[in-house]
Order: sequence, then C-alpha cells, then structure tokens
Amino acid sequence: MGGHIHRAVSPVTFSERRQTIALNLASWVAPCETRHVNPNGHSPEAIIAARGVGLSYGSRRALDNFDLVVPSGSVFGLLGPNGSGKSSFISLLAAMEQPAEGTISILGESPRPALRVRIGTVFQENALDPLMTVKETLTLAGRLFGIDRETITIRIERLLSKFGLSERLNDHVSTLSGGMRRRLEMARALLHDPELLLLDEPTTGVDPDERKALWTALLEGEQGRRTILLATNDLAEADTVCDRVAFLRLGRVLVAGTPAELKRGLRREAVRLVWDSPDAAALAEIAAWPGSGEVIQQGNDVYVTVDDASAFVPRLFGLAPHAIHSIRIEESSLEDAYFQHVGARARQEVPG
Amino acid sequence: MTAFAAWSALFQRDIRAVIRSRAQLYSSILTPLLFLVFLGNGVSHGLAPSKLPAGDFTSYLVAGTVAMTSVFSSTFASASFYRDRDTGILRVFFSSPHSPRTILLGKSLAGVCIGMAQALLVTLVAAPFVDFGWQYGIASGFAAVVLTVLLLNLFLAGFAQALASRIQTMQGFHLLMNLALFPLLFFSGAFYPVDDLPRWLEILARGNPLTYAVDAIEVVTYANNNNAFYGLWIDFPVLAICAAAVYVLGLVRVPRLTWSGK
Repeated sequence: MGGHIHRAVSPVTFSERRQTIALNLASWVAPCETRHVNPNGHSPEAIIAARGVGLSYGSRRALDNFDLVVPSGSVFGLLGPNGSGKSSFISLLAAMEQPAEGTISILGESPRPALRVRIGTVFQENALDPLMTVKETLTLAGRLFGIDRETITIRIERLLSKFGLSERLNDHVSTLSGGMRRRLEMARALLHDPELLLLDEPTTGVDPDERKALWTALLEGEQGRRTILLATNDLAEADTVCDRVAFLRLGRVLVAGTPAELKRGLRREAVRLVWDSPDAAALAEIAAWPGSGEVIQQGNDVYVTVDDASAFVPRLFGLAPHAIHSIRIEESSLEDAYFQHVGARARQEVPG
Repeated sequence: MTAFAAWSALFQRDIRAVIRSRAQLYSSILTPLLFLVFLGNGVSHGLAPSKLPAGDFTSYLVAGTVAMTSVFSSTFASASFYRDRDTGILRVFFSSPHSPRTILLGKSLAGVCIGMAQALLVTLVAAPFVDFGWQYGIASGFAAVVLTVLLLNLFLAGFAQALASRIQTMQGFHLLMNLALFPLLFFSGAFYPVDDLPRWLEILARGNPLTYAVDAIEVVTYANNNNAFYGLWIDFPVLAICAAAVYVLGLVRVPRLTWSGK
C-alpha cells in the first residue's frame, strides 16, 4: 500500500469535492519545488519559457520562482485555484507587467507590447462595449492590430461563421447572450491570426453546451497551427482540451506534463458505490485492502480509488453481499491527478 | 501598424458613440442654448447691465456659453475613460500592440473634436439671433473662434486626462472636475466682464486660462473694438502655452491597468 495515497473517510460529496479543491488549496501556504513529470517534457520549439520568474503586488507574492516551458503548437493548461498565479503569469506574457525576477521568453523574445501583434488574448471577464455592434467590435480590434479593411472584412466573415455568429453581424453586443459574447471575444482574439492565444478562464459562467460549441469552433482546423495557453480551474475542461498541463499553487508550478503523464502512478480507477448504511469499520477495512486508495463517504454514497476494480468488486461483495445497491467504475481523471499531486504536496507542508 | 491607425480607429469609435447617444448629443447643444435664451434675456431685461463693453448681455454671454459647453463636453468625453475601463474594453485597447499613451491620445483627440464640434455648433446656432460686432469680419472671426475653441478644448482635455489618471472613480472625477472648473468659469469673464472686478478677483481672472478663451471669442464676435479686452495678441499665446503644457501633462502620467482590469 503506497503511503503517498490519501486515505480518508470524510463527509464530503463527490460534487462538493471538485468544488472544494480550489478553495482548500488556497489555504495551504508553504512554498514548494517544481517537478516536471516528463524529464524530456520541454519541446525544442518552446514558444514560452519562464525561468525563476518572480512577481509581487505589494507584500503579496503572486509568482515565486516560476518555471514553465510551453511547447509550440500545444494546448497548454495552467491549472490552479484562484490566486495560484495563472493570471499573473499571463499578464507578464502580454507585457502588461514586468517580472521582478527571472526571465521570460515568448515567441523567442522578451515580452514587449509590439509582440502582442502575434498574440491573441481573451480575458477572464467580458471585455466588450455593449453599445457597439459585433461588426464594429471586430473592426476596431482589426484596426488596432494594423489589419487593412479588406482583410478585416474577409476575416470577420470567416470567424463569425466559425463561431456561429454570422446572423448577428450588425446586432449590438448588448443583445448577445453570455455564450455568444464569449464566442465574439474568441473571434476577436483570432482576428489578427495570432501564433499564441492566451485564454484566461474563457468559459467561466458559460453553460456546457456553449462551452462545447466554443471549444469545437476554436480547435477546429487548428491541428497544432497555433499554441493555446489556457488558464483555468476547470479540471474536466483541461482534461478534455489540453495536451499538456501544469498544476500551479502559490505562484509556483508544482508539476507539468501531459494529462496521461500526470495520471500515471495514480490508482487507475474510481469505484462509486451506493451502499446501504456503510459502517466505519467496513470502510476502514476497505481502505486497508491492497490496491485501495482514497475512500470518501457521504451517507450511502461511497467513492473508492483502486488499482484494479475487477479485483476490488468481488471482494467488496464478499464483505457486504446484500448492502451494495449500485456500482459505477470510472477511469482516473485529471481531477484525481490534481488532487493527488497538489493535495499530497500540501499535506506534506501542513503539520497534522 | 502605425499609431495613426489606432488613433483613427479609436477616434471614430468615440465619435460614433456620441452620435449614437442622442440624449447626450441633444442636451449638449440645447442646454447652452436654453441657458443663453433664459439667462441672457432674464439678465438683459431684469437687471439691465450697464457696464457691458458692446452689445446686449445675451450677445455677451455667447462666449461664456461656448466656454461652458467645452467644459461640460470635455468632462463627459473624459468620463468615457471610466466607462471603457468598467466595460473591460480598455483592457482590450491596452493589450493591443500600441502603448497606453497612444491609446489615451486617440481617445483624448476624439474628446477634443467632440468638444469643439459642440462649442462651434452653439456659436453657429446663436450667432444669427444675437448682436455680434464681428469686428474682423465673419469668416476671419469664425476662424479665430475655431482656433480658440481648439486651444480651449486641448487645455480642458489635458486637464481632464491628468485628473482621470489620478482618480479611481467616475464619481470622484466628476466631483473634482466641477470643483476645479466651475470656479474657473465664474471668474473667466464668461458671465460678467472682469475689468471692474474687485482686485483679488481680477488677479484670479488674469491667472485663469479660461479668461483668455472667453476674451478671444468676445473680441472676434461680440466686440466692436479691443477696448476693455486683452486682445488676440495676448489671448492666443497664453492659451497656446497653457493648452500645450496641460495637454502634455495629461499624457505624462498614464493610468496603470492590470490584466484583471483594476
């Protein structure tokens, strides 16, 4: 039984668990070192390379010895709770702030305003003038990025078609739904055909259908043509769209790699049970079985991570032959990896 | 990619916003005209001022009304900075390849043009109904008014920009603009001649850039001669120096905007 796997029987629902990860992590305070899962993880064509970057806002340390390499053409996720340094790092890349320490290379150069012509940005919150029309919004952006009017017109037509907004060309932004506004912001960020797209929690507050439509439109036909740096605390979204991710905490990169690399070494499967009044002794016994990991219970719902569900389930029925009402077996997710890597680090740092 | 393209794009966008905002457009023209009609006629007939250097009080009041219009429009134009910040669009401008100073310059030039257009429109609408002397002729006189209004609006835009870069809230900005500019209007000769004022008020008037703008407009539109006025040879240099100095000052300190829009 690996001692590094968290074992707990706690009154937390599965849905709450996902929501509380970000909140819990924010309270862990000690610094920690960066570890790259894949020793060969950096691409020879790194579009972003940060070494020992530090940034402070007054007495608050936003980035601290921040190291990161983003390969060209990847969809790279920066994952971490609020305050972990995602937006601060992006603001440095966009040359809206200067690092206090360390070096950053972006597109082969130090960040500077002129480089923004090769970078597209989508902010965490809406950044649209509700009194302008869709066409005016995109035309203004195009002109600010030095695109000629003819090219702007062609690209607007193409991008609005791509993002399903062609019918809204002359409508005011104030008449668009929240999801449409996000799609418009994506279209605006792509208007000057940037090599690098910086997305700061672009789907916050967007419903699942809109979210799917947005990502489908964004990634359609890209095939590594453009690098996307996505800051998010939505682990499921990152698991779906990112081919590399980094887990951040307290202004540092804890671990970086592909989702598959980060999931490696985890309990491979999660078993969700509906168990008629499980008692603490039975749950403790399950937790002690070889191949068992985390055990979380709330009421009749029990969540267990295991190495091999096919070995675990028969044994479970042996323990409680008439009490199990349903079983669902799931593969490990990026959320599990996040919880594992970041949670384990935090537990090492917090006494008790 | 030139700064001119950015200025042009921002300029068009701000002009379009004002044209679309019908209430702002109409009120910015109608309010000064109503001011002229009611205050001008009321004072002319109710108080019968006898120390005016030329025509009646309504005619005298036009120059002051033009200055007042410029003050209001520069305040509104500069307040768009706060609106842009609050809608988040300012972050988009600041994340373009242009420097924040270029962005602010584009927005500020739009504010200057909007203020000029409104002030000149007030002059044009009022002129046929008042007793103007046009001592240098109508064409030359109007050209001088255009120049005066340009310098005045540059001064006001610079002042507003300097204030906006230091004040966090729109409410605070409006409060300070009113606090600073209303007194300047009152002892600028906008509402009464400054030559017979108490000594302390006359000294304040002489140090007030708005005095020279009002004086220049009075000289070319209202007056029959330069008696009782500073004259254009004093007005234009003083105004030009003040406008250049304050406009540059307004662009020296660029408001800092973080990635999160704070």
